[in-house]
Amino acid sequence: MIQLDHVSRWYGQVIGLNDVSCQVGPGITALLGMNGAGKSTLIRLVTGQIQPTTGSISVFGHQPFANPEVFKILGYCPEIDNFYEHRSGRWFVQHLSRLNGFSAAEAKSRTQQVLERVGMADRADRKIAGYSKGMRQRIKLAQAILHEPKVILLDEPLNGLDPVGRREFIDLLGALSQEGKTILVSSHILFEVEQMTRSILLLNRGRLLAAGDLSAIRELIDKYPHRVRIETPVPREVATHLVRLPYVINVQFDPRGNALELQTREPGQFYDYLPQLVIDEGLQIDGFSSPDNNLESIFRYLVEA
Amino acid sequence: MRYGSFTALNQFSCEIPEGSTGLLGPNGAGKTTLIKTLLGFVRPETGAGEVFGLDITKGERRLRQLIGLMPEQDCHIPGMSGVGFVAFAGELAGMPAADALRRAHEVLEYCGLGEARYRNVETYSTGMKQRIKLAQALVHGPKLLLLDEPTNGLDPAGREDMLDLVRTVSHGGGLSVLVSSHVLPDIERVCDRVIVVMKGQLRAAGTIAELKKLAGHPVDVELKELNPAFNRALIEDGMTVLPGARTTIRVQANASPAEIHLRVQRIARTTKTQVRGFRVAERSLEEAFLEVLQA
Amino acid sequence: MTPNPTGPIADLRYRNYDGKLLPPNQMWWVIARQSIAQALKKKSLWFLMAASGWYYIIMIIILFFVEQNAAGSEMAKVAMEQFLEGIVWKDQFLNGFVFAQLSLLLVTLMIGSGTIANDNRANALLVYLSKPCSKLDYLVGKWIGVFLPLFVLLGTPTLLFYVYGALTFSQYGFISADPWILPKMVVVVAISAAIHSSLIVGVSSLFNQGRLAGATYAGIYFLSNFFTVLMSFFFQFSKGKAPDAVQYLTYASIDGIQTGIAKAILNTKGSPPFGFMPRNPATPIPAPNLTVALLLTGLVCAVALFAAWRRVRAVEVIG
Repeated sequence: MIQLDHVSRWYGQVIGLNDVSCQVGPGITALLGMNGAGKSTLIRLVTGQIQPTTGSISVFGHQPFANPEVFKILGYCPEIDNFYEHRSGRWFVQHLSRLNGFSAAEAKSRTQQVLERVGMADRADRKIAGYSKGMRQRIKLAQAILHEPKVILLDEPLNGLDPVGRREFIDLLGALSQEGKTILVSSHILFEVEQMTRSILLLNRGRLLAAGDLSAIRELIDKYPHRVRIETPVPREVATHLVRLPYVINVQFDPRGNALELQTREPGQFYDYLPQLVIDEGLQIDGFSSPDNNLESIFRYLVEA
Repeated sequence: MRYGSFTALNQFSCEIPEGSTGLLGPNGAGKTTLIKTLLGFVRPETGAGEVFGLDITKGERRLRQLIGLMPEQDCHIPGMSGVGFVAFAGELAGMPAADALRRAHEVLEYCGLGEARYRNVETYSTGMKQRIKLAQALVHGPKLLLLDEPTNGLDPAGREDMLDLVRTVSHGGGLSVLVSSHVLPDIERVCDRVIVVMKGQLRAAGTIAELKKLAGHPVDVELKELNPAFNRALIEDGMTVLPGARTTIRVQANASPAEIHLRVQRIARTTKTQVRGFRVAERSLEEAFLEVLQA
Repeated sequence: MTPNPTGPIADLRYRNYDGKLLPPNQMWWVIARQSIAQALKKKSLWFLMAASGWYYIIMIIILFFVEQNAAGSEMAKVAMEQFLEGIVWKDQFLNGFVFAQLSLLLVTLMIGSGTIANDNRANALLVYLSKPCSKLDYLVGKWIGVFLPLFVLLGTPTLLFYVYGALTFSQYGFISADPWILPKMVVVVAISAAIHSSLIVGVSSLFNQGRLAGATYAGIYFLSNFFTVLMSFFFQFSKGKAPDAVQYLTYASIDGIQTGIAKAILNTKGSPPFGFMPRNPATPIPAPNLTVALLLTGLVCAVALFAAWRRVRAVEVIG
């Protein structure tokens, strides 16, 4: 459990985080925000590289700053890609296990285990200089989990991976989260994040905009009523019925004449009403969906507000 | 455009029509080699090909006047302002100096670099660097635009802008576009067709719509909450029910979507289930791509 | 009154460029032009140009004062005649050239150290090569971008001194002593600029930072210079009994070889600066064999350029 309590951090006059309070529990949580929103600051605070200027931060009860105890329960998979290029992946992971305090024998066995887990066991003996991006990401993950941490932080872990590699990595993270670990992933690529989790932490210009489950957040965004797109060959007929509903705020027709889009603040009531149109009124409806019930739209709504 | 077989790419043959095409494939599959070949950096060992009628085996420099490349990596010419850089790029492509400067301004305006164009390129943010890479690729009016990971490093807003830009340019701008990217939703937004390259060979080629189609036209039904009674009733009605993500189930029946919808709503009413979405299911481009790879 | 045929509102949507595209066979000049423009932006360049001719300036001042003085008395006039008859004019050009070497080095460092190094850092090659521009265009353009400013910089004071001398001192044998002095100096200046350009382009291509490249080149320059100064001391102290090798080694540096070539082309051993004969003049070191000197220099420059050619990798540039 990562806990932030009114944490602020600034660099000279530039604000990194501004009065952020939140909790990150077990499972995968996505850390989102525009460039410069404070994501790197947050990660540096959690990994103990910097201290909060005001407020307090704790990781499983420990203060992370300059605290070796925290590193035993924390694994970090950074964005930067600097390795000892002339060494092998196995050497790298083994070396880091020794640095973690494991004996030579234990380091060796742990290295093997963790390499198998990330799918690099057969290729770990080659020099890192020859690794593809995907292989580097896996080595980074391997060193992050070798000491079986309770918390794993990943900064843009899917960067540069091809779809196959992406899928495998996401599955790996899923498996780790099933084990009860607390995983915080920072990423820009929203559609990837959506596949991993519904739980987000959204920062903007140093402030916390939202923390929690996506659907819950969507329900609560008042400013942008729910949009529902209805595909039908008779949009105007459907519209005459919708217009009579008090909770339908807006109806827009698709210029191609085969759909309409409505806005409502009471999606539940609307979905209860819809069967009437199909069954009782006999109107042909080929399909309907909510175009903005995805991470990208929610992100945009929250950030633009 | 057309190219034949290359041993460097392992007997690769394909035809890329005009329009907007996506280039997909795992890392190391040969996408980069393909791009290098199109630009004339690499001569094919065997086989032939032509781009806009120019033979690529001859390494014609005129080819690069017709092609614009937006590379994945950061690149710029040091010590120049934005507009200076783009104008210089235009001159390097053969534009007369006066035309180059005028056109540089036009393209920079279009790419959304306003006052920033007078600043040194080295002071630009990631988003601006991407835009200026696009600008230097477009300035000389190429007939083919090659984009390599155009949304690399951009935050969600920047990504939207870049994709809109590319989409407008590729549809109605008078040029063809080839986008190489791992971010499949980007490709879906911008391209109409894709070609899939794997281990140096062409694995699939077709329009995105075709690739995404699922046999048998199943529909995705999104519910407020899953309800086993609902599923049972659907099966009794003669439909096949498959599980989907979260509260969605996939339903298949031999009827039109509207008819299936009517039946589903009736059953929902009797089983007191709230239906929150009803859509003809399609594979995401990612699923289609993974299937092609595993085939 | 409509701004365009489709109505009062202009159509500002994206349009592709359909205008003229010149055939891409002069790309090296585009690149060279750009390098020169960037070089000229540095204001200290103009100062260094003036500074490179400092010998000529002092020479002119001395001659001017000698003349002014001569108008005073008959004896001064005679002294002046003696002085002017005794001046070996081509040696003045040689000295002017030799004393300009430091400025030349500074300018080379200023405009040349970053020429390919900065491009390496900024990954500029990717941009160049994605246009119809070949590796050869790029290197030739960069080379000329350093060569031309150096040539003009070194050549202009020389030319000005020549014109001044031709106008003022022709009766003292300024032109008759060696009618070919100007073309010869042009050749010397060109060779000098070429040497610096080739070497700095080669060194610059090896680094990612202009400063490192510049420091390396300066290091090579000063170390070799130090070596040749030692050699010439040795030569002087041995009073002509040193082995021939020592003589040749006094030319074994970047500035040394240029001095050597200049001496060989001008066909002179050199004489003390400003025309004043000290009581114990240093033994002038004879010029080296021109062919040998040119060959060796050519070889070194070729090695530098070859290094640049190899560093500028075309194909690996993408991904």
